[in-house]
Amino acid sequence: MEAYLVAIAIIGAIYVLLALGLTVQYGLTGLVNFGHVGFFAIGAYASALISMQGVPLVLSFVCAAAIAALAAWPIGLVALRLRDDYFAVVTLGFSETVRLTITSEKWLTNGVQGIPGVPRAFAGLGVGMPGALATLGAIALVCLLAALMLRRIAGSPFGRVIEAIRDNEDALRALGKDPARFKIQVLALGAALAGVAGAFYAHYITYLSPDQFIPLVTFYVWMAMIMGGVGRVSGAVVGALLLMLFLEGTRFLRDLAPDLISAVDMASVRLGAVGLALILFTLFRPQGLVGDYTRR
Amino acid sequence: MFGQLLIAGIVHGLIIGLAALAVTLVFGVARFPNAAAGDTMTVGAYAGFAAHRASGSLLLAGGAAVVAAGLVSLLGYLLVFRPLARRPVAALLVAAIGVAFLIRAVLGLIFGHQQHVFQVPLAWPIEVMGIRIPPMDITLAAVAACALAAAFGVLHLTSIGRQMRAVADDPDLARVSGIRPLRVMVALWLLAGAAAGVAGLMLGVKTVVSPEMGWEGLLTAFAAAILGGIGSPIGAVAAGLLLGVAQEISTPIVGFTYKIALAFAVMLAVLLVRPRGLFGRVEGVR
Amino acid sequence: MSLSVRGIDKSFGGFRALEGVSFEMPTDGLLGIIGPNGAGKSTLFSVVSGFIAADAGSVTLDGRALDRLGAAARARAGMVRTFQVPREFHHLTVRENFMAAAPGQSGESLFGLFLRPGRVRAEEAAIRVEAEATIELLRLAPVADTPAGRLSGGQKKLAELGRALMARPRLILLDEPFAGVNPVLVEQIMERIGVLNARGIGFLVIEHDLGALSRLVPRLVVMDRGRVLAAGAPQEVLADAAVREAYLGGMPT
Repeated sequence: MEAYLVAIAIIGAIYVLLALGLTVQYGLTGLVNFGHVGFFAIGAYASALISMQGVPLVLSFVCAAAIAALAAWPIGLVALRLRDDYFAVVTLGFSETVRLTITSEKWLTNGVQGIPGVPRAFAGLGVGMPGALATLGAIALVCLLAALMLRRIAGSPFGRVIEAIRDNEDALRALGKDPARFKIQVLALGAALAGVAGAFYAHYITYLSPDQFIPLVTFYVWMAMIMGGVGRVSGAVVGALLLMLFLEGTRFLRDLAPDLISAVDMASVRLGAVGLALILFTLFRPQGLVGDYTRR
Repeated sequence: MFGQLLIAGIVHGLIIGLAALAVTLVFGVARFPNAAAGDTMTVGAYAGFAAHRASGSLLLAGGAAVVAAGLVSLLGYLLVFRPLARRPVAALLVAAIGVAFLIRAVLGLIFGHQQHVFQVPLAWPIEVMGIRIPPMDITLAAVAACALAAAFGVLHLTSIGRQMRAVADDPDLARVSGIRPLRVMVALWLLAGAAAGVAGLMLGVKTVVSPEMGWEGLLTAFAAAILGGIGSPIGAVAAGLLLGVAQEISTPIVGFTYKIALAFAVMLAVLLVRPRGLFGRVEGVR
Repeated sequence: MSLSVRGIDKSFGGFRALEGVSFEMPTDGLLGIIGPNGAGKSTLFSVVSGFIAADAGSVTLDGRALDRLGAAARARAGMVRTFQVPREFHHLTVRENFMAAAPGQSGESLFGLFLRPGRVRAEEAAIRVEAEATIELLRLAPVADTPAGRLSGGQKKLAELGRALMARPRLILLDEPFAGVNPVLVEQIMERIGVLNARGIGFLVIEHDLGALSRLVPRLVVMDRGRVLAAGAPQEVLADAAVREAYLGGMPT
């Protein structure tokens, strides 16, 4: 039982990092990033491949964050010139292109076969509970640091400017500030968080394949962010928690009646539930379960 | 070899063109990229498949595809997109993803996840100028031509079509779709849905029918709509053909997986260099 | 030291919005622009402030050609514009709106924020003082900590002006500052503009309220259908036959 709880706590924490990254991009700045899973994938594969060359994990994590942030730079350059809707489509295309590249470049990523045997975090502690707990501790610490950092940002001049961009970009330009610089920084920051989340994912699951990085993951994070409350650090945490409840809850449902509902049916049920959640929250409760995002 | 690819590209391009037409109609009038367009295509494919399996008639399949996809599209508008008309475009974007997922989930639950193949009689390829053309390709091309003729007929010869085009032409009217006459919007979403349905049916006949099929074609449809110029039906079809041919011809060079990447690259290039695409109005993407 | 606008042409498709528009004003002066709806006044503002590119013509501020500069750069050069429909940062409070406008904040970069916390704190304190002064000047203290989106129309106009001031402009382009504002507030705004002008900030004002504008500015430019019809002191200009005709009876008493 404890092993199970630790496992879902780790996955939940990974989603917290992803949700924090998306919160700074969309919640605070208004950037409609539909390609978040792309940065997650880049971080995961980068850390896996680098660490498999013998590089110590801590360093490969840093590299993963850095490479993911660098990948955000061209996306940022594109973002400067595009409206929300075009930006959303472009970011979606970006994450799909990442997935397709991973699938195609077999020499690097082993393609669809995937990469087994990614070095496990805290491998020295063995495969059981001690290792898992250590991993949980590490990721919880990173989540805490990330949340504190975001809190600091939200209350800072930088946070003020990015919220201004979300509220009225042209007005900001009329005051002499170019939204471009800020958008790039925000995208890079969100991407770095997703990259770190990816690295944790890689070194916990220890097996990577391109099918793990489909757009559905991006929209799990969107759902989490919307449910928890857009634009708030607490919203990201609450949302990730709700997401885990949803994912595990649907798994339980299936365990209760394995003959009634096949695995693929459960996949459809989950997909439909996410779709429904996105629709209903957008229609009726855009500020999320926790509430109004005008107050931090 | 080139001729073979060209033919495949044309059929492929007609499919993309129809899907892009569905995208550009909605994008031009309701002012958002409808992410549910792909899964609307899938609805058409499944409806057509079911009708064909029951009756053996491709004609009936076509009818079923048009009706089912058109209705699903209209439902999406009435239940989801219309209530969101005055909201920022991000709300429409997210809701469209939601609709897409919901459609796909329902189809998956009803029809299961295995791929279905249209049982069409085998026929020898016809040889024209050294190129082998499968008769089904000719049928599909004819179907596409009819669908396009019907669509353009509606757009240019009926009053409701003229109203649609007028609204698409005037950017000020377009974003406030909530106050526009319901009739025009209903016709618009039915037409867009029908176009997507035919595209989906064609794709299903040409390849296979599976729950993911429409979503996989979504980016390419967006790319074609953008390349053609948002709001321009002619542009969507022309760009679809161009993109379809380009994708087929490039396959031997870049490999199968990168087809979508090609579409993405084209989309980016257009947005950065000439945002209005081939035939679009001079309207900002900023 | 002046703002010099020469020969501005702008067409949208076949429609000529601006044709050969030229005028000049001292940077610390007061100039009004009037004209019937559709005369091109807002388009002119957008061109002068860099939000729309002109087809021809030039804009020079204090001898410096602005033509190659984008909107943000022109604002940094000293020319800040407001919008006809206020574009407040609706989720931020009035105070935060003002503070966001202050230039040169190291806390606006991630590096500055985390690597120079001391400097950021000091700057924030100084900006807060400045914002407070601006709030006082515009008598917005009662709503200083209210989200700007919840303000009344008139308050939003005042906030728009205040925010523009915080950007430390040489010249402010005011787009219909009195539209939809109650007469008492109009007097207040005019008085504030006078005070600020006395401190050396120039104002280029678009307005429909000819009465108020005539009392505010020493010179008016009249536009109609994309062209400058007349320019000069309000009394002369408003007596001009062509101007009267353009307005077709919409003249003040």
